[in-house]
Amino acid sequence: MLKSPLSRRNFMQRSTALAAAFAAGGKFTIGEAEAAREKELNILCWEGYNSAQVLDPFRQSKGATVKAESLTNDPTMINRLRAGETKVWDLINVNNPWARKIMLPEGLIKPLDRAAFEPYFEKMMPAFKAPYKWAMDDKGEQLIGMAQRFGPYSYVVNTDKISREAAEDQGWSLFADPANAKKYGILESDDWNVFNICCIAGFDPFKVHSDDEVEKFTETAKQVFKGAKLVGDIATMNQSLVSGEIDFHMTGGTYSASPARADGAKNIRAITPKSGPMEGGKGGISWIEITSTVNNPELSPLATEFLHYVQDPKTAHVVAFAEGTFNPVAQMGNKECFDLFTADELDAIQWDSLEEEMARSVEYDIVPDYDKLLDIMTAAKKEASAG
Amino acid sequence: MAALHETGKGLSQGARNALPLLIFLLVGFAAPLLAVIAYSFMPERSFGLVHSPTLINYAGIFTGNSYISFGWSLSFAAFTVCILAVVCYPIAYGLSRVFGRWAPLLTLLFTIPLFVSENVRLYGWILFFIKNGVLLGTLKSWFGVELESWLFTRGMVLLGMVYVYLPFMLFPMTLGVSMVPNETREAARDLGASRFQVFREVELPLSMPGIMIGLLLTFVLAVGAIAEAKVLGGQTIIPITHDIEIAFTYAQNWPLGAALAVLLMIVVGTLVLLVLKRFDLDAILGRR
Repeated sequence: MLKSPLSRRNFMQRSTALAAAFAAGGKFTIGEAEAAREKELNILCWEGYNSAQVLDPFRQSKGATVKAESLTNDPTMINRLRAGETKVWDLINVNNPWARKIMLPEGLIKPLDRAAFEPYFEKMMPAFKAPYKWAMDDKGEQLIGMAQRFGPYSYVVNTDKISREAAEDQGWSLFADPANAKKYGILESDDWNVFNICCIAGFDPFKVHSDDEVEKFTETAKQVFKGAKLVGDIATMNQSLVSGEIDFHMTGGTYSASPARADGAKNIRAITPKSGPMEGGKGGISWIEITSTVNNPELSPLATEFLHYVQDPKTAHVVAFAEGTFNPVAQMGNKECFDLFTADELDAIQWDSLEEEMARSVEYDIVPDYDKLLDIMTAAKKEASAG
Repeated sequence: MAALHETGKGLSQGARNALPLLIFLLVGFAAPLLAVIAYSFMPERSFGLVHSPTLINYAGIFTGNSYISFGWSLSFAAFTVCILAVVCYPIAYGLSRVFGRWAPLLTLLFTIPLFVSENVRLYGWILFFIKNGVLLGTLKSWFGVELESWLFTRGMVLLGMVYVYLPFMLFPMTLGVSMVPNETREAARDLGASRFQVFREVELPLSMPGIMIGLLLTFVLAVGAIAEAKVLGGQTIIPITHDIEIAFTYAQNWPLGAALAVLLMIVVGTLVLLVLKRFDLDAILGRR
């Protein structure tokens, strides 16, 4: 009788001691981290910047602990900062409009030293010359981030099934053609799918939409999701294109097609339509990543050092071909960087048509009535699933 | 001993000892749950708990088409549970009564997949079933048979769920079947019961605790399934968990996601309670 309660008591005492030790340990670790932020860097980013190829040389040269978490959509990353994680992260890497239009006005990021960083833009490709719109605040006074990866992002076809020329000529109506039902997939990238459905419906996504346009969007969303064979991630899209499950998919571009192309599937090609409903009759949409310093009250000094580090031509090449997806980088404007790319790598990122595709694309922007359109699209997706 | 239980005016010794665990549970379990419930009453697309409470998220759910997602989740979970009950009972019976020394090895084989990430296993199925993949590619090249792909269909979602949740039904069920004393079977046979009567009146009722735990566990897990519909189903169906994920990510609408999560908890909780009321676990476990 005595043994059991005593051992239980011992257990509880030990548990209490352990919990206390754990709590003390946790406190100690946090305190230690606060004191040693000069050796710690936390990055919230799209995949690639979190790869060992990019981070390990930096870790070794600085003797630093670098933690990078990769997510695959911008809104989730912004939400993490909104939820109070500005105290956690030092750098955030998202697509172009978010820094200038959302994060800076909301106080989630802080400006960079313009004198220290602006010279890098002079070595970038011509489109990125300073002052580069998406790296600046609205007034064009503060530098709020650095540009690196970019690319056109509309749709991808299997050229064995649809020729590049036919796909470019037909444009977004590919997805509205009843003959193409169950021949295409939709990448699980809901923010971009909102843009695409606007394009299929025949109007510019990046403006406030009239009631008629919203109605057209609703019909189009239902039709597009009903006609899709599948909705999935990049790996599934590429697998399905290569195996013949589907002939084409949206949203897609260099970013999503490059892993398949690098693997030898040269018939998988990102397409930018020749014309479309956007400004200047453009049909494509492109993205440019901007990496900014988070408005962290104890920002690690390594944050700006990392931004310097990734501008190095060799590192920029590693970033372009880090694990995951492969993308052009603005630093390819520097011959020293460009020369590091092999012919196969240039082919994987469709260098041959990059300039013309970017010229046919408008830059990703905030959709003013995105919330409403996303809700409609989500409802349409659910309705399509009901058969 | 008496000294050990001396409590004075404060908490009892037991309560004091339980305090760390209680705090841990409160912080780790109750606090996030309360936060989710609180968020569900915040205005749509807000990111804090400082606003006036509103029922707008619940109203939106009831006027929208979230019922489709609830329907998919509940019906696929129910189908999964039914299929698994039929599939697992014979295996459970075999493991506890028939396979003898092979039973531990078979148990191990059923357990090993649990050590591999669910997503990896599901992508394995993709490579197996995809057009020109392991199955269809082999049929085509060896026998010249060209079949349509079965991927990205509702049937594949169900297959994926049955596959993923099989161990969660099988192991409690095996435990339940092994709890039936052999003497009861022998006694029933001696008293003239047929094989079916032994099954219906002895085996099944006595193994019911394990079966019930398996059914409940599998159902609760399957209602929360998301990867099967996303990976194998190509989002042919949108389960409620996916709806919640969209609300928390792309839609940036935490209150809506929270309201959907609260409703899911209520629906699943009510269903489980109804089942528990019908089948009293304490009674079938023999506690009263």
